Amino acid sequence: MASIQLVVFAVDDQEYGIDVLAVNGILRAKKFKIQLLPGMPKSIEGIINLRGQIKYLYNLRHKFHLQDAAISDESKFIMLNIYDSIAGWVVDEVTDIVKMDDENLEVPPNCVNGFANHYIKSIGKIDERLIIILDPEKVLAQEDLEDIPLPDKLVV
Amino acid sequence: MSKYQEKAGHEINLDKITLTDVIDLGFLQQFQDDFAKGVGVASVTVDAEGKPVTNPSSYTRFCMDFVHSTDCGDKRCAESHHKGGEEAARTGKPFVYECHAGVIDFAAPIMLEGRHIGTILGGQVLAEEPIEDKYRKVAKEIGVAEEAFVEAVKDVRILSRERIEAAANVLFIVANNMSREAYQKMKLQTASETLSDGIGQISATMQELAASASTVSHTQTNLNNEIKNVNTVTGKIDEVMDFIKDIADETRLLGLNAAIEAARAGEAGLGFGVVAQEIRKLSDDSKQTVGRIKELTTIIKESVEKTVVMGNATTETIEQQAAAIEEVTASVEEINSLTDELTLLSTEK
Repeated sequence: MASIQLVVFAVDDQEYGIDVLAVNGILRAKKFKIQLLPGMPKSIEGIINLRGQIKYLYNLRHKFHLQDAAISDESKFIMLNIYDSIAGWVVDEVTDIVKMDDENLEVPPNCVNGFANHYIKSIGKIDERLIIILDPEKVLAQEDLEDIPLPDKLVV
Repeated sequence: MSKYQEKAGHEINLDKITLTDVIDLGFLQQFQDDFAKGVGVASVTVDAEGKPVTNPSSYTRFCMDFVHSTDCGDKRCAESHHKGGEEAARTGKPFVYECHAGVIDFAAPIMLEGRHIGTILGGQVLAEEPIEDKYRKVAKEIGVAEEAFVEAVKDVRILSRERIEAAANVLFIVANNMSREAYQKMKLQTASETLSDGIGQISATMQELAASASTVSHTQTNLNNEIKNVNTVTGKIDEVMDFIKDIADETRLLGLNAAIEAARAGEAGLGFGVVAQEIRKLSDDSKQTVGRIKELTTIIKESVEKTVVMGNATTETIEQQAAAIEEVTASVEEINSLTDELTLLSTEK
């Protein structure tokens, strides 16, 4: 049976998942200093220096229309391979890495499907838990593209 | 301590008090002599056993030279005195009677708290003109010369019965007052000695209390400091726990990243994935353990805080006690000087 491995993370007490293959690595927020970028859209949290390279961090709370919250000691950055480079998402906690069989995955509701290219790929079920499985590239792409400097392409 | 005082306490043993304990014999002799001369009655004081404790005052020739001159007379006198004394002791009042030789005698008991401790014997007077025949008969009985005896009885002083009784009464009242007063003084002295001993003990106990209060206070201060040390150590344990938690967090992250790497390696990464999962489990366990230890250190901290509060309360109580002890000590000092005065008063002659 086909299956998918997910990195499960939490934002504002909700659980989300992304394909493990899209993930480059996970970082502890408290180990990095986030440099704010002036004049950028709210969805960009800032930049960090990861082993000598500049990486962009995106704020999912803003993206998901959730209440803003300060980055805590437990916060993590999930570094993703997107658009042939690496960018990070700020999440409250990485809770799990799970293997999920296809039978536990459901396509998103019609209304969501109505939007072309929506970033919710499917809904995963683990016992009573529901995991919103995201498409990382689409999450970023659905931002007003003109407003968003694509990662790494902006580096001067 | 006198013989009438028991060793352990200061109780006066009334049974052991004798006449000489409560009567100043010098004074009594002087009084007895002067009284005898003044009133014209002979007297002598004897103790409870009938032994004379003073010299006879103003004995008549009739008694000294005649009645007491023969063994029979002497014996009859002793019997007569004994009877009179017994009657006086029994009633607790002066007893006036006619003696075997026909003169009026009296016996005034000296009582102390209802106990007979001695007798003043006196008299050797007549209540009326002597009837010669009566004395001739006595002379024959005791074996003295009749004519001389009758002559001697004529020299005996004649006093009315009221005056004899009054004389007996005066001796009775004075002697009894003397003994009572001396006894009261004795009791006072005993009481003040008891008091002084008791106060001495209180004073010593108070000093011990003050010393132990200071020891307790010192110990409590040490205890408080020691407890604060526990708090410091607990704080350090928390710091170490934070460090361990950080390591656990880091380990967990390593586990997560290892799992991601393993997933990317596909089939080849399966074994590594298991290891990565174990690492994550271990770090979770570590983190839980840290949480439990922190709960414990929190309990310790709360306990310590309570202990410190109680310790402070104890210190405060001890201080109050020390102050109270000081007050008591001051009062005891005052009482002590009063007792000294009392002792001085009771021992003054």
